Amino acid sequence: MIAFIVLAIVALAGALGVIVARQPVHSALFLIVNIISLAVFYILLSAEFLAAAQVIVYAGAIMVLFLFVVTLLTAGKDDHEPSEHLAGQRGTAGVLAVVSGGGLAVLGVVFPSKKVPLGLPHNFGNLHGMGQMLWGPDFIYLAAVALMLLTAAVGVLVLNRPQTKSRPEVRLEERES
Amino acid sequence: MIPLNWVVGLGAALFAIGAVGVMVRKNPLIMFMAAEMMWNAAALVFVAYARSFHAMSGQVMAFIIIGTAAAEVGIGLAIIVSVFHHRHRLDIDEVSQLRG
Repeated sequence: MIAFIVLAIVALAGALGVIVARQPVHSALFLIVNIISLAVFYILLSAEFLAAAQVIVYAGAIMVLFLFVVTLLTAGKDDHEPSEHLAGQRGTAGVLAVVSGGGLAVLGVVFPSKKVPLGLPHNFGNLHGMGQMLWGPDFIYLAAVALMLLTAAVGVLVLNRPQTKSRPEVRLEERES
Repeated sequence: MIPLNWVVGLGAALFAIGAVGVMVRKNPLIMFMAAEMMWNAAALVFVAYARSFHAMSGQVMAFIIIGTAAAEVGIGLAIIVSVFHHRHRLDIDEVSQLRG
């Protein structure tokens, strides 16, 4: 229980830091704190493979991508928050989100689910159990994720297509030089 | 053993904080990170219920959430970068109208 309280405080502090920090770089670093505390939660909930995947994919790949884009877009700028056009949007949004999230949290804490008395299966949470699910009954999800990742890769290429008009001139200049 | 209902409560709190971030901040990068936090809160609740019911399906769902987040980050950051190349400002209201 003490581990839960400490980890929950770290996770909530990281989450609050993400939305309070002024610079996007600080937000990204706070998000890494949040992600790593959630990975420790996964270990405590006996999901070892997911904890490793969380650290490798989120804290490794996704956050490095975020930091690249943050440094690309906001390097050397004094980045203050733009002014709001809709009057009262921030207050209303904050109150609505806090009420709904607090309601969900209270409901989750007050009404516990039923206890399951059985012992854990021997391959619960490790790569063996995960592979048995992903290549067995849940193969359709794995295929869907594969299709989605392929679509995302092609979509990024289409979105950041190089300008076709300036391309031949550049090549000519390169040949001359 | 962590009590399940407190983990679910923590997931709800993280989800609410992410929702506040998406609605309050105007920097698209920070909004995107808050949305990532909302994905993570949902994945945490999936893993907690998988532990409680001794069923691996919840962990499979959390794994798929991680994969989906990877695809979403690729597309979303590409959109943010291409909007920034057109407008040279990091403000989500720059794309409030669907014009080129």
